Amino acid sequence: MKQHLGRQSGVQNVVVSLLDGKVDVTPKEDGAIDPAGLLKATYDSGVSVAEMDMTARGKIVKDAVGSLVFQVGPNRAYMFMSNDLSKGLQALAGSATGVTIRGQLYKKPVGKKKPEAQPTLTLLVLEVQSKE
Amino acid sequence: MRTTRSRSAVVALLGAIFALVGQAQIKHIEMRVEGMT
Repeated sequence: MKQHLGRQSGVQNVVVSLLDGKVDVTPKEDGAIDPAGLLKATYDSGVSVAEMDMTARGKIVKDAVGSLVFQVGPNRAYMFMSNDLSKGLQALAGSATGVTIRGQLYKKPVGKKKPEAQPTLTLLVLEVQSKE
Repeated sequence: MRTTRSRSAVVALLGAIFALVGQAQIKHIEMRVEGMT
């Protein structure tokens, strides 16, 4: 699995902890890392992902249908799963304020035996680390 | 003169916006996996 993930574009380093089943991925600074691609690569290596968390810096914008999204690159944005923290970010929509967020992008559905290889990723905000 | 100043302001604003978008990036990803041997 480490090799599978290490071959993905934008991946600088992968640390796998067998004891607690944790995988830490450090992206390169080129912004090419694709969380959905990592999820698929992990699935393809025969391992299922229970949860994926991300720390990212980006901007709060509204998409074409007016939904709030977190833009982390020119062509990469994630819709928010609504909670108190995401509601607190609404005021920043469309502003130039950069926000650093730690959030959950994926959680394996309860009771589903076979997880999807390419699920839709939405961001559940766990922590707003900075606004500047 | 006024037009030149306005243009400069727009260019500065666009520069600031693009600089912020340029800083946007994923810093870290952590996964909890199952079935790893």
